[in-house]
Amino acid sequence: MSMFNYLVRRLGFLLVTLFFVTLITFAVTNVLPGNVALLILGPNASEQSLEALQQQLGLNQPLYVQYLDWLADLLRGELGQSLRFGDPVLGLIAEKLPRSLLLATAATLVAVVLAIPLGIISAVKQNELPDLGASLFGFVGVSIPIFLWGLVFILVFAVWFDLFPTGGYVPPSEDPVATLTHLVLPAASMGFALTAYIMRMTRSSMLEVLSEEYISLARAKGMTERVVVLKHALRNAVIPVITVVAFQFAYAFGGVVVLEEVFFWPGIGRLTLTAIQSRDIPLLQGCIIVVALIYMLSNLAADVLYAYFDPRIRYGGDE
Amino acid sequence: MSGESSDYTDSANRYRPSDAQIERLGRFSRRFRRNTKAMIGLLLVLGLVFVAAFAPLIAPYQIDTTNIEDRSEAPSLEHPFGTDDLGRDVFSRVVMGSRISLYVGFGSIVGALFVGTVVGLVAGYYGGMVDEVLMRLMDAAMSFPPILLALTVMVVLGPNLNNVVLALAFVYTPYIARVGRSATLSERNEAYVESAVSRGETDSQIIFSEVLPNTMAPLLVQASLNIAFAILSEASLSFLGLGAQPPTPSWGLMINSGRGFMESAPWMILAPGIAIAITVIGFNLLGDGLRDVLDPKVDAIE
Amino acid sequence: MSRTQHSGEGRIDGSSTGTTRESDAAAGDPVDPDGPLLQVRDLRTEFRTESGRVVATNEVSFDLDRGETMGLVGESGAGKSVTARSIMRLIDSPGEITGGRVVFDGEDLLAMTEREMRGVRGNRIALVPQDPMTALNPVLSVGEQIVETITHHQGKGRKEAREQAIEAMREVGIPDAADRIDDYPHEFSGGMRQRVLIAIGLSCQPDLIIADEPTTALDVTTQAKILDLLNDLQEERGMAVLMITHNLGVVAQTCDTVGVMYAGNLVETAPLDDLFERPNHPYTRGLIDSIPQTERTYDELPTMDGSMPDLLDLPEGCNFAPRCPHATEACRTGGDPDLEDIPGTDARAACIRTDEIDLSESTADPVDGTGRDAVDRSGEPLFEVENLKKHFSAGEGLLDSLSISWDGGPSIDRRSVKAVDGISFDVYPGETVGLVGESGCGKSTVARTALRLLEPTDGEVYFDGEPLHELGSTEVRSLRREMQMVFQDPGSSLNPRKTVGRIVGRAMERHDIATGEEKRERVRELLERVGLSADAATKYPHEFSGGQQQRVAIAHALAVEPRLIVCDEPVSALDVSVQAQILNLLNEIQAEYGLAYLFISHNIGVVRHICDRLAVMYLGKAVEFGTVEDVFSPPFHPYTESLLSAVPHPDPTRETDRILLEGTVPSPVDPPSGCPFQTRCPRKIGDRCETEVPELEAVGDDGHVVSCHLSVEEMSQRESFVATEENPAASD
Repeated sequence: MSMFNYLVRRLGFLLVTLFFVTLITFAVTNVLPGNVALLILGPNASEQSLEALQQQLGLNQPLYVQYLDWLADLLRGELGQSLRFGDPVLGLIAEKLPRSLLLATAATLVAVVLAIPLGIISAVKQNELPDLGASLFGFVGVSIPIFLWGLVFILVFAVWFDLFPTGGYVPPSEDPVATLTHLVLPAASMGFALTAYIMRMTRSSMLEVLSEEYISLARAKGMTERVVVLKHALRNAVIPVITVVAFQFAYAFGGVVVLEEVFFWPGIGRLTLTAIQSRDIPLLQGCIIVVALIYMLSNLAADVLYAYFDPRIRYGGDE
Repeated sequence: MSGESSDYTDSANRYRPSDAQIERLGRFSRRFRRNTKAMIGLLLVLGLVFVAAFAPLIAPYQIDTTNIEDRSEAPSLEHPFGTDDLGRDVFSRVVMGSRISLYVGFGSIVGALFVGTVVGLVAGYYGGMVDEVLMRLMDAAMSFPPILLALTVMVVLGPNLNNVVLALAFVYTPYIARVGRSATLSERNEAYVESAVSRGETDSQIIFSEVLPNTMAPLLVQASLNIAFAILSEASLSFLGLGAQPPTPSWGLMINSGRGFMESAPWMILAPGIAIAITVIGFNLLGDGLRDVLDPKVDAIE
Repeated sequence: MSRTQHSGEGRIDGSSTGTTRESDAAAGDPVDPDGPLLQVRDLRTEFRTESGRVVATNEVSFDLDRGETMGLVGESGAGKSVTARSIMRLIDSPGEITGGRVVFDGEDLLAMTEREMRGVRGNRIALVPQDPMTALNPVLSVGEQIVETITHHQGKGRKEAREQAIEAMREVGIPDAADRIDDYPHEFSGGMRQRVLIAIGLSCQPDLIIADEPTTALDVTTQAKILDLLNDLQEERGMAVLMITHNLGVVAQTCDTVGVMYAGNLVETAPLDDLFERPNHPYTRGLIDSIPQTERTYDELPTMDGSMPDLLDLPEGCNFAPRCPHATEACRTGGDPDLEDIPGTDARAACIRTDEIDLSESTADPVDGTGRDAVDRSGEPLFEVENLKKHFSAGEGLLDSLSISWDGGPSIDRRSVKAVDGISFDVYPGETVGLVGESGCGKSTVARTALRLLEPTDGEVYFDGEPLHELGSTEVRSLRREMQMVFQDPGSSLNPRKTVGRIVGRAMERHDIATGEEKRERVRELLERVGLSADAATKYPHEFSGGQQQRVAIAHALAVEPRLIVCDEPVSALDVSVQAQILNLLNEIQAEYGLAYLFISHNIGVVRHICDRLAVMYLGKAVEFGTVEDVFSPPFHPYTESLLSAVPHPDPTRETDRILLEGTVPSPVDPPSGCPFQTRCPRKIGDRCETEVPELEAVGDDGHVVSCHLSVEEMSQRESFVATEENPAASD
């Protein structure tokens, strides 16, 4: 039952953190009531219209009341109306979110497929050429801003070589193949940026595990190096890597804000940007909360997977 | 040692590094020099600092000197990086842009270090409720992708360079706090802390005099890596139009402006892009190298 | 002499373990089926370090016959582990084997390809490693780790291998083997894990087992069981065993022959009895002598001066010469002596003077000393602890200690670890009171809670009449001056970023004892008093050896002129020959400054010589308390009895009558009902032990108390472990 225990505890943490998230969101977007109305209506708005808007938005009430009202709405799933589009925020988000999820998942997949084998090789051939080469690759990946990767990829593969479209999105219901071709460049640009951390984590985790006493014993038992690395070491090493992968998935969600702009990908990132540019506070709040929630859930998923693979947590046991 | 004063203050009670400390410093710099990564990183960073310091002297043109006739010209002897769509010299703008990157990088990290170190050390040392609350707060702040959080702060504060620094300091504080906390946690149970307690030291004396020096290494590593992030973030923010405003020669902003001309004048995005890459690679190398030097557990062989 | 070449199949990464391709090997000795199983000749292993090359195994040669058990003894850093691993070619960069031959069953292991070597490891030579807590892969089941060895070497199918694994587990005494084969390592206790490691080693019926400190990480009572197990198995199967250990007591109980290593060299080999009766090398003599014997009383514990040299800085001439009481000029200049046969015996020694000196007599004073001075208990005790309790909440953080169970409906309770569950004792000025017990009994927690480094959950603590448990934090801080602590691991109790002078001086500053020049002067004096030179003040802790670091820690404790010093396992992390030095220092200082000590240890043999009174702890409670003579003499608490009987004596002629305890120490989260010891007690009466908690009751007139339901007669069935007036020729 200790897995159950563990999960419940983690959920508890999540709720507490979520509470703080709402606090921060609210605080950041509602610093001064006067400014909010001003932001929305612009500097040329009349006193009256400012007043009216403030009334309407309930901005004249004390902050904590506003917060509680807002929180109550939030819990009911009521995210308000978009000021710019006039549509319910929830609906807008529900429409755009899956596309971002698709992009982030594809990018993470690319990263994992590249990073883990590279990480293993780096660890096993520590300090030799493959290690240095892989590190270099990872380094460059992480040192170039995501949007630059995107632009360069577009320039090279879409413009010069005309292999892929320069941007845009095609829903799978229309043409799944097109969805994929449109997905390649953005997923690859983001994927490259994600690779470095996963690879580095795999490498350092493998190195640490390879120096453990039980690896030494496995060799002393006469096991081949292949068995030692893939069976004994990897299974241990991969556990912390899972957390990094989940973290990178979440990082991808930060990246979408910028990347969707580059590739004209109509996901939640572009929606957030639009909200910012239009000073669409309700939409912005909705987007922030949703993104933060996804982030936290992916961390929770990481913990669950971690617990599942590490028998010490799964089966518990009093040490 | 040969009968010298065995303490660290000389007769005038000024701080004088003891022989042992000098030796330690010597050892550190030897190992640092042997670490290729760190050296290259240091070189790149120093190069950047040099360029930033002497930028006005290096740049042949003003950053906003427009020259419509020479617009969008390919790189040439006159304009080593070409000109942009308004005829401005890209090379000069890139050079001047180095100042912005450095300002943002160092500025935000110093801010994050100040607040983050205190939070992390206090949380790690006291544990219990204090730790829970502080860490939940930090976790909450880290629940936002950094770009998003920075963006939202920028919305409130208004887009300009100084606000970028503030926003990024805010965004990166939790990462520093986390590192500080975990370093403190691992030091806290060491016997020399107990030793200090049994000597009767007060908490703040212990935190700042005993624990802090032992946590500086991971903090420094994290800080130098965060500078790289900060520079990347500023580039992204400016690219989105929410950071530095024209005509500031922020590299990210330059890429934004150059985007429309990507096909015809790719140097407009490539030049600042490469500048960003080199800078960030430099800081990353430095941070990674520092980590190797200060914590030799991994890669212990010379 | 020899050049290294990389030969044979490499690893997945292309490197290979260092081997030599000695031309000698091909022209080696012919295979002799009655000859020794293992012949090591001039084995040499070196390591590259930042500061130069270090020779960890220096031209070591010895033979091991089939079915023989050989002990390889030495202090830490002597090179015994490296030698053992070199035999199995488990040496990795930055180390490499640079010379010699290892002929196993007629073949030179050093000349084999890596692939051939893999066929030997685990199959014909098996390793049983030291630390059961880290040597098992945590994500693979125990059974899997045994089975894979079998399938790999013997090519059997999984089912058959599994049966064999279960059988192996049974043989090493793991209960319910068939059920537990799929359990994971963390579900087993330390002793059980060690058995698993032995099972892995035995699984392919090897000819040779190399046991690397197989019991060092275990408690004394568990150690006894494992050693017996090894003895039995070895007899049954006729395996040869190479046992690496630093503990001569273990050697005396298990080995047929012994090899002694010092600073990389093998300095003596001999059959067991001969070694103890008449050693041929001065170091061996010193080693045997520096183990204090339980039945004797000493004024000063026998020691050897100095400590083993750093392998980077070996002396010219014989490595042991600087410490050797018999050293001559020739010894100091001549280079390392060769290991030569001693005519008329089966022994060999590396000493140029061995035929001149007679080492059969112990150099320790044959006459018993007067032991410790009597303690004056007429006044008030300096330190009193009454019914002290310390409970921790289990797990980390607030939410972690809650345990949610589904028992028809959800219920939440708070789990707690009852580390200390009601202990009382007192310490008089000038006295040393010991707290003894195995790991997990709570003794360290008692010390910390009594000093209020941890907040007590319940109970009272009085220092010189002051109620320590009630004082505010400022008052406690100023009282800290009177009570100091010396910790177990000197490496971590000294702030690595401060110089020794600053560490010691800080204490003085903090309590306003001295500042400026006067402080520096005092620091220098103190450092000299504890046996270091005054210029140690400018050095950093890592520049000192373990023993020296501990001296610094003692100086730090003394700096504030305390009246009580709590010593938490202060010598456990040190080598045997250094331990006695530190203990003697502590005794001297106590006499000079009139200090009281609270001495915590798991080593009841050490405690006997430094303490006046002694409390034996089990699961957070004291089960016996009294003077050392009383505790070591009948009546005994059953736990004390088994603890005392389990101590391995460095005397092969001695038969021991060990009491082996069943099971393991229960978890302090869930202690047994009634008497805490009842789950393992060999003298358990019955229900009463399970339901009623025994109180500490007087069993003599000297303040000797025991908590047990047995009668005084029933507790007195064994002989005393010390020589007393009634029992002068003590033996057990």
